[in-house]
Amino acid sequence: MKARRRVVTNGGAPAKRRPTVRRIKPAILPATRRIAPAAPSAPVASSGNGAGSSATAERRAGPGAPMSPEREIDLTVDLGRGLRLANPILVASGTFGYGVEYGDVVDVQRLGAICCKGTTLRPRVGNPTPRVTETPGGMLNSIGLQNPGVDAVLDKYAATWSRWRVPVIVNVAGESIADFTEVARRLDGQPGIAGIELNISCPNVGKGGIQFAIDAEAAGAVTAAVRRATDLPLLVKLSPNVADVRPIARAIADAGADALSAINTLSGIAVGPARSRPLLGNIYGGLSGPAIKPVALRVVYEASQVVDIPVVAIGGVTELADVLDYLAVGAVAVQVGTAIFADPTLPARLVDELGAECRRRGLDDYRPLIGTALPKRAGPPSAKGVEYRP
Amino acid sequence: MRLAGAELIDSREILPGQWLQSFHAPELVAGARAGQFVHVRTGDYSGLVLRRPFSFNTIDPIAGTLTIHFRTIGRGTEWFTRLRPGDRVDMLGPLGRPFEVDPRTRHVLLVAGGLGMAGVRALADAAIRDGRQVTLLFGAARASEVYPSSLLPDEVEYIVATDDGSVGHHGFVTDLVPDYEAWADQAFACGPQPMLRALAGLAASRRRRLGVASLGRKRGAGRPIPVGSPQARRRAFLQVSMEQNMGCAVGACLGCVVMDTKGAPQRVCREGPVFASDEIDWEGGW
Repeated sequence: MKARRRVVTNGGAPAKRRPTVRRIKPAILPATRRIAPAAPSAPVASSGNGAGSSATAERRAGPGAPMSPEREIDLTVDLGRGLRLANPILVASGTFGYGVEYGDVVDVQRLGAICCKGTTLRPRVGNPTPRVTETPGGMLNSIGLQNPGVDAVLDKYAATWSRWRVPVIVNVAGESIADFTEVARRLDGQPGIAGIELNISCPNVGKGGIQFAIDAEAAGAVTAAVRRATDLPLLVKLSPNVADVRPIARAIADAGADALSAINTLSGIAVGPARSRPLLGNIYGGLSGPAIKPVALRVVYEASQVVDIPVVAIGGVTELADVLDYLAVGAVAVQVGTAIFADPTLPARLVDELGAECRRRGLDDYRPLIGTALPKRAGPPSAKGVEYRP
Repeated sequence: MRLAGAELIDSREILPGQWLQSFHAPELVAGARAGQFVHVRTGDYSGLVLRRPFSFNTIDPIAGTLTIHFRTIGRGTEWFTRLRPGDRVDMLGPLGRPFEVDPRTRHVLLVAGGLGMAGVRALADAAIRDGRQVTLLFGAARASEVYPSSLLPDEVEYIVATDDGSVGHHGFVTDLVPDYEAWADQAFACGPQPMLRALAGLAASRRRRLGVASLGRKRGAGRPIPVGSPQARRRAFLQVSMEQNMGCAVGACLGCVVMDTKGAPQRVCREGPVFASDEIDWEGGW
């Protein structure tokens, strides 16, 4: 509630916060849609139970009809530093390209945010093929961070992104701390860039991939360095390929990250059809899809209890139940990944379904769904961004 | 690119383990061209997380139908064989870039290896409709895998090679190509990668000896043609339809790349699946 007031009215918030909020993305949402101007005392549960009629009712009750009993549910989420998303359904890095590829069949503006393909300082051609293969309940990929380099990405897409309502979070990878900070510096202040997701946990590249994510000290160091290089909202993506994720999550949060995303893929291999060698050209690949959901749930459950910053869950989301599960273990938002390949319209549909679910439960917003499965003594996790610390 | 439901009309096992299925999907068929493909979702949501790509085997824009031709190689393809007429599947398409036939080409040579028939089959229809002469060279392991001539248009000259010599030429289909290289104005191929590599070698040697006589003289002579453009493919003697394991099929995941001669990865789903043979780095280790 406090976060909401901060952006809409700017009243009461300390003046030093405002530049950051406004510099990132002046209009993540059009002013009319920024907040459903809900009266807090409006009756909610009285007629909000008809899930069948909710679709038509929602169309009728646009932003201009705030007093309607079936008004828009507040799905906005604050990931910190002014990175406010219209809803908590993001698309995961590597599964949605640069946001333009699925444009013919998906309305990207309905998404909470887009995490673009992993971007490095210099162009990378990626790994040998085959790069993807299906596995039971999931898939392995070893793309190897193929990308044209940060300058080419900015050249090609930043102008498009700056015209979009949906925030674009650039996933950043690198071989050294200097690489990470240089990419962050080049992204800083560019139009169309809403935030950075640090990919310190790519399992598919030899150098500079995973070693940052498996050691708390290294993870904290790279986070702190990037933090100094940019004022952009900063997410850091956790790896599940570690013994205990909690010290790493804590180190990243202490180093100044605005949010965590969890998890990256699990390292795995598949065997080729003739059984003469591993199937993937790179031998190792990263496992994603429904197969990793229990692991991701565990990591989110653990991480959200040890940090005060928001956690964005990733891993095998294919239906609303998965979203609710992740919210229950403390995530404030989820990224949809592998499931997009089978059903590109899933993320937008999940937004609708989450709203309908809140309506069905008689909720004003979805925040009461967060952290319900966490141990009681832990207290509710933060559903808003960290305060700006100059 | 559209996302649409398709209704199964007909499903037949035309060869042992090979199926020909016909779907009614007017939205997808409108504007589809030979060489493009559809990405089809299986209804088995329990363990299969990826769609399956299939070339347009035939395209009938008037009836709004398409056919796909596949071999059962796993759980996904087996799921398709259990479909019954009236069942609906979710298709994404048409995807990728099609074969480009130069308007002046009169003699079309098609080369297919095994399931590669599915990749060039639609082009036989299109070329004949445009009044071109078509010769189709087809290679298979044995007689029981030879595509039935009854499923081809009458006008196609159909020549078969089998690896074991059980029918037609005893040897690889590529052995037959030199007999036709002088006759053909353009060639189009789909099949296993070693076959395509051999054909690319033959095409390069043909270009050295015979040149590309009829093509690209009039308009834009002397102007460089960008690599990967439709014009580049239209000018090429040999166009190949490539195959790679595919994830998204729209160019987002970068899973299905082949390397071009400059060492840059090209997405089979977006820049392909049809490439000019001289765009591909055939010796690369990818």
